[in-house]
Amino acid sequence: MNGTQPDKRCALRLLAGIAAMTTIGWGAAATAQDTGPIRIGLIYSKQGPGASIGEYLQRGSALAVEQAGGKVLGRPIELVWLDEPNPQVSQQNMQRLIDENKVVAVIGGNYSSSALAMMSVANREKIPLILTGAAASEITGKDCSRYTFRTQATVPVQIAGLMPYVANLGKKIYFITPSYAFGQDILRSARAQLPVIGGTEVGVDEVPVNTADYSSYALKIRQARPDVVIGGLVGGDFSNFLKQWNEMGMKGKIPYAAVAVTDTDFWDVGPQASTGIFIKPWYYNNPKNTAAEKAMTADFQKKYGNPPSDKTWSGWIGMRALLESMEAAKSAKAGDIVTALEAWKNTEGPFPFYFRAWDHQMVRPAVIVQVKKDITDKWDYFDVLKNTSDTTADTEKAFGTKEQIGCTMPPL
Amino acid sequence: MTDILVSQVANGLVLGFLYVVIAVGLSITFGLLGVINFAHGAFFALGAYFAWQLFHWFGWSAVVFAPPLVGLVGMAVEVAIIRRLYGKEPLLSLIVTFALALLIEAVIRVVWGADGKPFSAPPVFAGIVEFGPLLITKYRVAVLGATVATLLGLWAFLAWTPYGRILRAGSRDPEMVELLGINLPRVLTAAFGLGCALAAIAGVLAAPLWAVSPSMSANAVMPAFVVVAVGGLGSFRGAVVAGLAVGVVTALTIQFKPEAAAASMYVLMFAIMLLRPRGLFGERWERFE
Repeated sequence: MNGTQPDKRCALRLLAGIAAMTTIGWGAAATAQDTGPIRIGLIYSKQGPGASIGEYLQRGSALAVEQAGGKVLGRPIELVWLDEPNPQVSQQNMQRLIDENKVVAVIGGNYSSSALAMMSVANREKIPLILTGAAASEITGKDCSRYTFRTQATVPVQIAGLMPYVANLGKKIYFITPSYAFGQDILRSARAQLPVIGGTEVGVDEVPVNTADYSSYALKIRQARPDVVIGGLVGGDFSNFLKQWNEMGMKGKIPYAAVAVTDTDFWDVGPQASTGIFIKPWYYNNPKNTAAEKAMTADFQKKYGNPPSDKTWSGWIGMRALLESMEAAKSAKAGDIVTALEAWKNTEGPFPFYFRAWDHQMVRPAVIVQVKKDITDKWDYFDVLKNTSDTTADTEKAFGTKEQIGCTMPPL
Repeated sequence: MTDILVSQVANGLVLGFLYVVIAVGLSITFGLLGVINFAHGAFFALGAYFAWQLFHWFGWSAVVFAPPLVGLVGMAVEVAIIRRLYGKEPLLSLIVTFALALLIEAVIRVVWGADGKPFSAPPVFAGIVEFGPLLITKYRVAVLGATVATLLGLWAFLAWTPYGRILRAGSRDPEMVELLGINLPRVLTAAFGLGCALAAIAGVLAAPLWAVSPSMSANAVMPAFVVVAVGGLGSFRGAVVAGLAVGVVTALTIQFKPEAAAASMYVLMFAIMLLRPRGLFGERWERFE
């Protein structure tokens, strides 16, 4: 009997030791997990025609992190930036960010087709996704998702803001739009507005993506003699169009109006070829910009030597919304972030903007700009005409009702 | 209707001649080196960027030095990378030159930035000319003149000079050329440089028309491959005929069925490949059989 006592004591000590070691070990691991970096994924183009846009988006998001002191919830932020070359690879990169990099949320998706592909992964893996460029209606409409938020105004909202200016230019309208979901959205929305402004359609060209030569389109438009051309070409396609529109002597003869353009489209072609009236989410030289936006512009200019584009603003506001929501939720858990984003509100301007809880669309007016007659600054191309709406009520109305939008938001 | 069709065909011919210059360079590279150069479009983009840089440093007259400079870059690339692909699997040359295309695009992005570069035609070529029903811009007339002059010069070089004869002989029987005491590696280096310089000429001419951006090669390389396939691999005459056909078919498709414009040249290629798998003027090449 006596012989067994020491053994029992030994066994008990051993068990207690293991228990203590395990507790200390788990505790240490838990502490490391709570104090280690918080990873946030970015999916922006790194190559191809969207590379310049991707760079401005990434710089905006990175700037928001810097302005937050590089930390959220007291822990360092680590950004992981993957490419957005096409819908398939963007979807794979979304999965990679979640599986390999263990990100808590993803910001990105400049193209509607990529955004829709990324959304399916965000929804399945229950990871918050903030889309910073995609404008197709279905993203916050019939395909809306609890885990997806969007900063860019939808195509119908932008078209509704543009059409009164189009009506001032004339009634005979020619459309030149890209032949994919975004272009079809423009056509649908603008055609619906034609009776409102008393306009008529005199021609339409749905242009394949990556078209290099627009001279044949310019000849067709010239022959159709419209009062105004409504466009929706983007990126390199839009730059090619502007250059050849000017080369064919059309600049100044037939006005051009479009939605969802970005500053780099114009910086790429120069003042000589730039012309038209456009809807943009933001412009760096808008006197109505908030103090925070002006500070961001100054920080960006100091760091990169040129002003931020509207894409910089989109990347910046997307990241700000995410970080502020995480701080408000005091959590990096997906469900808590989503709930906080639904309650997030920016009150720095004359009236607040926010993600609407029932469709996750950022409700905020866009700006209507016109290319200056005389461009003297190589970055400052536009005169700001006005915002697409001037009050909270008008803005909310412009973004549509629940019935018009058609989003049925699923539970968390 | 006649007015616009005449103008569309004229615009299509200008576009077609640009494609021809790109495709002839590609065809020379393949014919002599046996390498399918996926990086050809990158040299096209490099031509546009060199032109932009030379213009900003020295003015318009310096732009003519862009193609020879790109040719020199091409020769350096041949010595460093391409010559290791001779006699190897065609798949290897496709992979390596694809990687080279990505590398050149990345280098352009690092050196000149991801933003495009504003570049317009010289003021002397601003405006439109009208000949009866034909409406065309002065710059496109200039492009037409420059491309035709380039192609005639190239044809004369290949047909009438000893160097041209060596190039043509080397493309059919390189071993025999070497047995005759000609330094074949040097010939191959020069031929690759010539192909790159031709791509650069097209890049310089396209720079005032297309956005000068790191990814501009995407708009050039696929039509060039279609032109080479339709015309027949290694055929100068085939590249000219096919390039003009692709340009005109694209322009007319835009007039009547714009949404099918991008697909039209592939439909043309498909039809020709069915009827003549070697292309319009393709011949049997013993060394590739």
